Amino acid sequence: MVELLQYAKRRAGALRGDHATETTHGASAGTHLQLWLLVFAVVFPIAVALIVSTKETGVVTSLGDLVPGSYAVENYREALVDYRFGRFMWNSLAMSLVIVVGKLIVSVFAAMAIVYYRVPYKDLVFLFILFTLLLPVPVRFIPLFQLMNDLGWSNTILAITVPYIASATTVFILRQHFLSIPTSIVETAKIDGVGPLRFMLFVLLPMSKGVLVGVSIIMFVYAWNQYLWPLIIIDSEANQVAQVGLQLLQGDVQGGQLSWSLVMAGSTLTLLPPLLLMIVFRKPLLETFSIQQK
Amino acid sequence: MSTREIFDSRIESGLLLLPTLLVSVVFLYYPTALAVRTSFFDSSFGQADEFVGLKNYVTLLTDSGYHSSLLLSVVFALVVVVGVIAVSLYLTFLIHEVDTGQGVYLISVIWPYALPPAVGALVFLFIAHPTLGVLTGPIEALGVDVDWFNDGPQAFVVVALAAIWKQIGYNVIFMIAAMNNIPDTLTETAELDGVGGIRRLVSVYVPIMTPTLFFLVIINTIYAFFSTFAFVDLLTSGGPSNATNILIFDLYQEGFSFFNFGVASAKSVVLFLVVGVLMFVQFRVTDEYSYYGA
Repeated sequence: MVELLQYAKRRAGALRGDHATETTHGASAGTHLQLWLLVFAVVFPIAVALIVSTKETGVVTSLGDLVPGSYAVENYREALVDYRFGRFMWNSLAMSLVIVVGKLIVSVFAAMAIVYYRVPYKDLVFLFILFTLLLPVPVRFIPLFQLMNDLGWSNTILAITVPYIASATTVFILRQHFLSIPTSIVETAKIDGVGPLRFMLFVLLPMSKGVLVGVSIIMFVYAWNQYLWPLIIIDSEANQVAQVGLQLLQGDVQGGQLSWSLVMAGSTLTLLPPLLLMIVFRKPLLETFSIQQK
Repeated sequence: MSTREIFDSRIESGLLLLPTLLVSVVFLYYPTALAVRTSFFDSSFGQADEFVGLKNYVTLLTDSGYHSSLLLSVVFALVVVVGVIAVSLYLTFLIHEVDTGQGVYLISVIWPYALPPAVGALVFLFIAHPTLGVLTGPIEALGVDVDWFNDGPQAFVVVALAAIWKQIGYNVIFMIAAMNNIPDTLTETAELDGVGGIRRLVSVYVPIMTPTLFFLVIINTIYAFFSTFAFVDLLTSGGPSNATNILIFDLYQEGFSFFNFGVASAKSVVLFLVVGVLMFVQFRVTDEYSYYGA
């Protein structure tokens, strides 16, 4: 898309007889070469993981050993079934989906109240929500651990989802987006006598599709990649998430019971869901980020 | 502005805000308040809390291990922030300069945004492993004895590199948006004045991108302090001899290895102050820049 824009710009410039933009900072082969090297450095570690996950033992001590093996199917099957990685992946997916859906619903409600209602103290309420940015998990995980025990939630999906449902970031992004919807549309809805529920379902949400997709990806990546809190609060293997499940695989390697190729298969599996979502939905994701910074 | 406020029912707006406020109070504010309270008590598993006033804070003030952890975290954050910003800025500049393949280059360097830190840590553990690592041979050929399981400074470098690698994607996402916003006319003027290449990046683009860069410095600092836990936990467990024992890992151990909830809570409060100061600085500086319409 960026390319298209640049191309269009250059064409327009050429039509106007303006050649300055066409060639002056035209990239040299040197720029491409540097990019190739840097891209290689950024991709190399994951490429190694991918290659090793297809090998028999995963012993790769020199660069010459970096050729794909023929054990891919066997390794991934073993990781998913014998080492219960399928279970971990499922738990991670359930956790992430509950967090994303929960955050979306709750934050659309909150942002709607903050933007479309004339009520006292709502700026104060917005500040109260924003202030939670100062309270990441490490600031409160000790009392939270005790609170979960008191509620009897330890080791359940409730413990790794409910505390994440309130989201200052999501409310902030949605509020910014709602404020950019033209007032004329809002006023028309008012004149037509549209109630709040219909306004949300038939005006607000249809006009927010891109942002809703974008924040969903941000929230999914955030939830899926959580490591510290599940490590503390989940202590049964059956309920564990993929991030911490990797640590269990690695423990088996150090105990000598497992080969590195299985750990790399597990790592690849754990990377795939957020990576695929990011690549497929990169356009709404990048647009949503540009709202967040404002 | 006011025309957006088309509803005025206090009950409705209250109901819309209720879920976010309820979760914020119960799982964010209340545990934080408890952490502050516990920091004044002698508290551990299975015994009644005993009020000890400022004793836990005095412990922190006199504990040289904690002082080194604090200093280490600051140095670590500095290295990570400078490293991430420098690499990402140069990458962004190169991508901005090329005419072809921008889309492909962009996705090949922003993907680590989706990378789970636990996966990044294990992949680094594997490629840089002192005996098995695929990079160990080439690096030792340069005359470095790869021994980061025992060598503190080397362990620090490995953890920092892994942390920098993971954060490049997020930074490039914001930098490319800011760089693409710079008017072409400015680039042309610079070219006409003979300001090309890296000098154009440093003396023309960077000053214009200051608001974005400042935002990223804060985000990266918070990242270095809080979100690098998985790297330390999986790569070094804070060792060797505390060379990578940054505050967040130190706090985790205090709470969940030693179960000194009182001292751990005091450490949580210190971390809260760290985030608080960073956020405050960000809001102040962002405010200043907004006067320039940035």
